[in-house]
Amino acid sequence: MRKKLRLISSLIAVLGVLALGATACGSDDSSSGSDGGALTMAIVAPSASDDLAFSQSMVDSVNALDRDITVQITDGTFIVEDAAAAIRGYAEDGVDVIVAHGTQFGASLAEIAPDFPDTTFVWGTATDTQGLDNVFAYAPAADEGGYVNGVVAAAISSTGIIGVVGPVEAGDAVSYINGFTAAAEAGGATVNVTYTGSFGDVALAAEAAEAHLANNADVLTGTAQMVVGAVGVASDAGVPWFGTQSNQTSLDPDLVVASQVYHWEFALEEMLELRDNGTKGGQTFEINLANGGLVIEFNDGFELSDDVKAAAEAAIAGIIDGSIDTGA
Amino acid sequence: MNDKSNNLLEMRGITKYFPGVVANSDVDFDVRYGEVHTLLGENGAGKSTLVKILFGLYQADKGDLLLRGEKMEISSPSDAISSRIGMIHQHFMLVPTLTVAENVALGMPSTRRPLTDLDKASKKISEISEEHGLAVDPSEIVEHLSVGERQRVEIIKALYRDAELLVLDEPTAVLTPKEVDDLFVILRRMADNGRGLIFISHKLREVMSLSDRITVLRNGQVVGATTPDQTSREELAQMMVGRAVRLTPDLPPNEVKESRLSLNNVSVKNDSGTLAVDNVSLEVRAGEILGIAGVSGNGQREIAEAIAGLRPIEPNGLIEINGSNVSDTNTRSRRDQGLGFIPEERVPDGAIPEFTVGENLILVDHETDNFVSRGLFSFDKISEHSSQLVSDFNVKTPSVNTPTSSLSGGNIQKVILARELSASPSVLLACQPTRGVDIGAAEYIHNRLIEQRELGTATLLISEDLDEVLGLSDRVAVMYEGKVIAVVSGEDAEREKVGLLMAGITEAVDA
Amino acid sequence: MNDFFTSSVLVATAASAIRLATPYLLASLGETIGQRSGVLNLGVDGVMLLSAFFSYWTVLQTGNLWLAVVVALAVGVIMGVLYGIITVFFEATQGISGIGIFIFGLGFSDLMFRQQVGTPKPVQRLPRVDIPVLADIPYIGEPLFQRSLLTYLAFALVPLTFLLLNKTTFGLNIRSVGENPQAADSLGVSVERTRFAAILIGNTLAGLAGAALVLQLGIFQPNLTQGMGFIAVALVYFGAWRPLGVMGGALLYGLVNATVLQWKSLGIIPVSISDLAGMAPAIVTIGALILLARRVNAPAALTKPFSRH
Repeated sequence: MRKKLRLISSLIAVLGVLALGATACGSDDSSSGSDGGALTMAIVAPSASDDLAFSQSMVDSVNALDRDITVQITDGTFIVEDAAAAIRGYAEDGVDVIVAHGTQFGASLAEIAPDFPDTTFVWGTATDTQGLDNVFAYAPAADEGGYVNGVVAAAISSTGIIGVVGPVEAGDAVSYINGFTAAAEAGGATVNVTYTGSFGDVALAAEAAEAHLANNADVLTGTAQMVVGAVGVASDAGVPWFGTQSNQTSLDPDLVVASQVYHWEFALEEMLELRDNGTKGGQTFEINLANGGLVIEFNDGFELSDDVKAAAEAAIAGIIDGSIDTGA
Repeated sequence: MNDKSNNLLEMRGITKYFPGVVANSDVDFDVRYGEVHTLLGENGAGKSTLVKILFGLYQADKGDLLLRGEKMEISSPSDAISSRIGMIHQHFMLVPTLTVAENVALGMPSTRRPLTDLDKASKKISEISEEHGLAVDPSEIVEHLSVGERQRVEIIKALYRDAELLVLDEPTAVLTPKEVDDLFVILRRMADNGRGLIFISHKLREVMSLSDRITVLRNGQVVGATTPDQTSREELAQMMVGRAVRLTPDLPPNEVKESRLSLNNVSVKNDSGTLAVDNVSLEVRAGEILGIAGVSGNGQREIAEAIAGLRPIEPNGLIEINGSNVSDTNTRSRRDQGLGFIPEERVPDGAIPEFTVGENLILVDHETDNFVSRGLFSFDKISEHSSQLVSDFNVKTPSVNTPTSSLSGGNIQKVILARELSASPSVLLACQPTRGVDIGAAEYIHNRLIEQRELGTATLLISEDLDEVLGLSDRVAVMYEGKVIAVVSGEDAEREKVGLLMAGITEAVDA
Repeated sequence: MNDFFTSSVLVATAASAIRLATPYLLASLGETIGQRSGVLNLGVDGVMLLSAFFSYWTVLQTGNLWLAVVVALAVGVIMGVLYGIITVFFEATQGISGIGIFIFGLGFSDLMFRQQVGTPKPVQRLPRVDIPVLADIPYIGEPLFQRSLLTYLAFALVPLTFLLLNKTTFGLNIRSVGENPQAADSLGVSVERTRFAAILIGNTLAGLAGAALVLQLGIFQPNLTQGMGFIAVALVYFGAWRPLGVMGGALLYGLVNATVLQWKSLGIIPVSISDLAGMAPAIVTIGALILLARRVNAPAALTKPFSRH
């Protein structure tokens, strides 16, 4: 009896671990294996590869690369140690380029990268390479898209109050929100910012949005993967929403006004070229409106007046030519 | 009314195996209407197994069970209850957080299904209380009841289910002598009303006073059946143990010398912060045994722990061992002053069950040079020392390297006794030294304590077994609600008088 | 601060608190029944995740909210049977088995979501159901009587759970097997059956909690609960194993969360201490527990498997 029960409970645990493992390991393993010429790449990402946000932006970008590559993905590694193990595993397998998609993986990378001098590690969002010459760093100028979104948001708000739902006050969330706030306030709006304290708590994000609505906000935006809850609240209330990181139009085809989309491929393309020419790392890249790494994708399903559209275009142009300071 | 000569219960050839043991071997046992039939035997003799089979908690491997002349299969307690069998378990089967009425109604069908019907239950409980003299408030929460009242609830539970055959498994273990007397009156009345009672006990005095018939079990077998008027306590003890036993130790006269242990105005709080020992002063002298009598829970445990240094005393008190103040010192330094301590809980307080016999034997002085050379244990010395003690103290163990947990209670107690006495203590604190041990082992332990007295040790004996206290003590101190309410000399300590004192009744004694 | 004490903001905060409290309340009431029978279930979060996913998936496929609730109940029952078999019949260690259930629920809901759905898609949310007359009462009408049916059910279950535990024979059996299973057994109360039934009810309510969460949000994503189930277990301790106390805990937790979010929105809590303020619900709840600490003990047989031998 005792033995049986131990067996059963360990079986359950094993089942659970297997289920977790099945999702965490190579859910998008498109490598064909032995075509020797192709470059091999791997992505290690902290959330789901289809989160409509941070992780998805990188997966989409790598898939958009115009090159003969094979890609392996380990996603959902919100535990840093798991990510580190995956990164080291890929390096040991001889993968050429490994993307460590998360600021929090920096310390692990500093340990792993020196052991594999022939491998290129791509790490972000980060603004330096920690002095490692086989690490490329990347960061988005998220404030730029935030600024453009903010210009439009202030223009379409009638109450003049805009609610922002952020996760934790760090990384590209801060720069997006700062850019957004600067533009919206310049446009005469009041911006209420809530950092919920969590990247994953959908319920809290939803209630944060509700709180903004109670305070008369009539336009909402937010960043990180938990905002799907806030978008739902916006939908219910019929309030316009601005997205970032990925195109969030699918969450509400009627109310998502525009999304700032990260196209990491522009930075990745340059890194791969450098690698082709023998430079394995040591440089930092920023994607922005000017280099095409950031794109504001407007939703045709949301009608914007010509004035507003023109203002947005002007903001984009101003940021690119440097005449506008996003305040970030 | 059923004829008193008819059998209410008949168990024939009951055999029950447990892995490696035959708990019951071909046991025949019957109960007639209107009688109290006692099952007597040592721990592990098979009494509890037999009644658990009767109550459906175990299934017999062989044998038949006849109830009111008909063969029955009892496979669960509900079968037993519906066959009008009631059982008062050794450990109360009560839910402390529930009321008396809830405890009694538990498991019974309700007329207001799915709701409970506690008003109706309370009414019936009051009726039963009145009819049988079992006073208890149905709406009271059980954990607020005294032990005696809880016992009454247990009996009410059985009567509420209209039990005709009642099993009482060691029902007196936690009662004061007065409560025992009251209980026996109730039980006798129940038998007179035609019920059959099975009384399980190893207290010979009670068995002699309550039983109509007595069946003795040893090693799972029936070794004899008799009636009180055809036997004596000594004979019953002999049947239980299988050899002649001296029940009452002989206390030879002894010279009493200087004071070794003295307590002055000692007060001690219990775990919940209330005063458990209230301003107690005592003195134990060389060559005497001072016994503390009292119903469990009147401060005995706390006073023992305070003396041993396991529990702090209140600031105004004073404890002295051999004249030096040890009130604030730890256990180690009290032991260095000559204190030996046999704790109430054999395991885990007295011995570590996972340790070998040898390890437990050196537990107290394992740091001394006797067993250590160059910072390491000298296993030769340890082994030599423990083998000597095992043979001196008659410990039945395969070797000194046997894990202590595989020994019987009596033998574990001998290990503890050997360890404590081998240090030649000048003061010995012995708590419940024979609780749950065989009569044979108890006899041995008693003789050792008397021998120690002759060697001049001052012994403080704390025991719930009144016979033990009365038989061994030069003086008897009675504790009640944390106070020592009387100290009487051994010769003056009559059972009845001490029994009344244990219940807090001093008037009758003074008179 | 004055912005906060306007009727519309206070009403919105109360409504938010009640929405947030609903899944906790359902899960905690279920856990209360289980724990009163002596069974600790740390797998609540896993059951919530499974039921949340499957009810979300049902709405996605059929658009039928009530079918989704039925599916959530079914998931709860299935997980209850599983946990009951493990803990009652195999007498497994409850703590570790519950964690096993949690890990299974976390992993399996994630796997199913990726295989069957992939990208989060919004679905219909639970409709608001106004209770006639009461819904129109100023101030309290909106937060209390303009909610979803699952919220009404959650709060209705508070007195029902109280009645079940304290006034029915089944409740008496539950309490006794949680305190002293040997005593219950000796009176012919089946400890196994009682605990199994309590586990079943507990898991079914956990299933309902998952449905309430996901159908309030109208969207699912991996690890949607973010450990809500564990908070629900903690709230049982907070509530001293009493339905009313558990409700108080769930409401307090929801209210502090809602207030913090409202204050953040109003700028009463500046962005600079925003992350710190995120700990407020836990701190206030623990603080309240210390202040109110009554001497209530856990069911004596909690986590202890029962066997006659």
